[in-house]
Amino acid sequence: MIINPTAIQAFFSSIFSFLPTLRKPRNFFFYILPFSIILGRLIPSTLSSDLNDIGVSMVQLIAFPAIPLVLSAVMISIADIFSSHTRTNADRIRFGTRFVVSLFIAILFASSLALLLSLYQSPGVLSPSAKLSIGRFMLDVTDIHVGAVDSSSQANNVWISTIIPSNILADASAGQTIKVISGSVLAGLAISRLKPELTLPLLTLLRSVNTISVQVLNIVLNLAPLVLICLISAAVSTINAEIVIALLNFTICVFLAAIASLGISRLIYRRFTSSSERALTSGNPVDSVFLLSLSTGSSMTAYPLLFETLTGMGRDRSEVEASASLSLLIARLGNVTYNVIAILFALNLYDVNITPLRILEVIGLGAITGISAAGLTGVATVPTITVALLFFQVPAPPVLVLLLAIDPILTLPRAATTGVLSMAIAVVSSFKSHGQKALSNPESAV
Amino acid sequence: MFKPFLRLFVAFASVALLILIPLQVDAEAVNADVTNNKFIDMIQRRGYLKVGLPPYNTPPAYYIDSDSNELKGYDVDLAKTMASKLLVDIEFDRSSTSFNELVERVGAGDFDLAIGKLGLTYNRLFDAFPIQYLSFRHALLADRSFVASLGVDPDDPAFGLVLKNSTIRIGSIDNSTWEVEAKANFPNAEFVGFKNWTDAKNALFLPDSVIDAIYRDTTEIKPIVYADPDLSLDYVPILFDELIDRKSIYLSLEGRLGLQDFIDMTLRREWGGIKNDIAILDDFQSYYLGS
Repeated sequence: MIINPTAIQAFFSSIFSFLPTLRKPRNFFFYILPFSIILGRLIPSTLSSDLNDIGVSMVQLIAFPAIPLVLSAVMISIADIFSSHTRTNADRIRFGTRFVVSLFIAILFASSLALLLSLYQSPGVLSPSAKLSIGRFMLDVTDIHVGAVDSSSQANNVWISTIIPSNILADASAGQTIKVISGSVLAGLAISRLKPELTLPLLTLLRSVNTISVQVLNIVLNLAPLVLICLISAAVSTINAEIVIALLNFTICVFLAAIASLGISRLIYRRFTSSSERALTSGNPVDSVFLLSLSTGSSMTAYPLLFETLTGMGRDRSEVEASASLSLLIARLGNVTYNVIAILFALNLYDVNITPLRILEVIGLGAITGISAAGLTGVATVPTITVALLFFQVPAPPVLVLLLAIDPILTLPRAATTGVLSMAIAVVSSFKSHGQKALSNPESAV
Repeated sequence: MFKPFLRLFVAFASVALLILIPLQVDAEAVNADVTNNKFIDMIQRRGYLKVGLPPYNTPPAYYIDSDSNELKGYDVDLAKTMASKLLVDIEFDRSSTSFNELVERVGAGDFDLAIGKLGLTYNRLFDAFPIQYLSFRHALLADRSFVASLGVDPDDPAFGLVLKNSTIRIGSIDNSTWEVEAKANFPNAEFVGFKNWTDAKNALFLPDSVIDAIYRDTTEIKPIVYADPDLSLDYVPILFDELIDRKSIYLSLEGRLGLQDFIDMTLRREWGGIKNDIAILDDFQSYYLGS
């Protein structure tokens, strides 16, 4: 058999030109979603686990450039922002203050918004038929198995130890995103205090790693449509329709939180960008970030778009890099809103009285558990609420079983919320008023 | 010379024969006594196997069928199989007032054997002799709010230790193996005894219940949530993989000597060896899960 290299090349080039077009949000709604649903209904349930495994493997591939990207982006940007050679002290204070304040406000806003929606929508208040559906679904699934009693299993898990870096390369290879971020911030601060000639080789290397990581991300993102087809059709094939209906209020809440976040981000974008900056972009980048995250189920996919949009507007590259990567990876605002709604769902499910103090506790725990999802993707983020459920002494296993059952649907709005609110943080953090622009530009100052 | 010798030999042989013949007859009679199983012989002469059964209804193990008003269940079927292999009829005695009394009575020789999901305890070993035929894990049906109040994730390996040392209030049938087991396995627990299993179940589901969990084997606990899936949200089966209830057929000393080999063989050939709770739940799925 003679293999024609030209034909093979043509085949692959057609695939690689076809896949990026599928990444467009319009194609997600018109082609990918209907196709995945039909495929999910048609395939036998025995194939669904294989399809899900393929999807999860591709998600792993898409997440693969995340660690080198965050390591290089955070280190370079922190080194640049805190360097006395390139910036004034006022500049650093402006960015630092804006970033921290906007991050804090965004977390507070996300958790309060989710709380208000949950109080209004009352997820977890179930009808008798919904209770029966849930009960049937949980049979045999939530049984507690007590094996041989192990008295030596009290591991010393101090919370603070999860964020303190030990060995940045080991942390990176172990996928410990929070430790990588904190290690990168420390390393960036150290670089900023050294003479430029000493740090230039490392910064050049990091810049190169960063550029390559973005490029790798762009390549692997071509798989996003295939990931969605695999995951959605596997979910449609196995998901329990009764459970989806029983938890409809919860699902609506999470989607409403995503849409409200989009609205707020659009307002922030208009308030913190000048008309001349907006003139440099085509269309509404907030909508694009929202739809891209929603259609791929991953907020990280929005990073290149977010970065290109803001630097294309003339925003400071380092500030955009730092604020975008940190807010996308640390704040995880989609998880914050999701966790607040999930905690209130659990409290309603077990008839726990909602007092003003408890509301504050829900906001606090929702934010903390949401942020603790940093570095986790997809369904792996759901069990982070266990800490909050244990705090409220609400049975965790049945709540987790229910949340995991409908998570294939809710991963999408969660990613979209993270994407748009991270964009809002990056827009606010890198914003400079006319006066500040004039100060940071020595030529115009003269 | 040869004739007197021959005469002497014949005389000696005749005397020896006269002496030894009665001895041989005695030996045969003795051997016949040893080889004949008096216990089985007694049952066969009586014409029926006397089986002691608890006074309760515990479907699908043993219960009065409401349609036919007949005793049914897998324990009843096993006893009937043994009777048929012994070539006799069967008679069930349900006059004992508790599980413990039933075991005491079989030990005293009131029945040939006692059956009916009878667990194994030290006290019962003082009264009768067990032959295991079922192996069921211990289980609790616990209020989820109590489990959550322990403050340990049930997936945490330490959960078992915390639960066992907790002050959980456990309900089960009074004067049963579960009272003994609850006191042995949950040293800080408070045991609340009930007249029967239905009363214990009803007590757990009361709004201000005096108990946090009910305790029995897996085949009694799991069907509660199978029958009423709504309960899954508020109550959870806790299955103890290392706590095994060795359900046994009980015999008297004579019964053990006479029936042990017979029962062992029947269990191997007709019953399929010692069955665990998973096999029983599987075999009687139509009962546990309903139609």
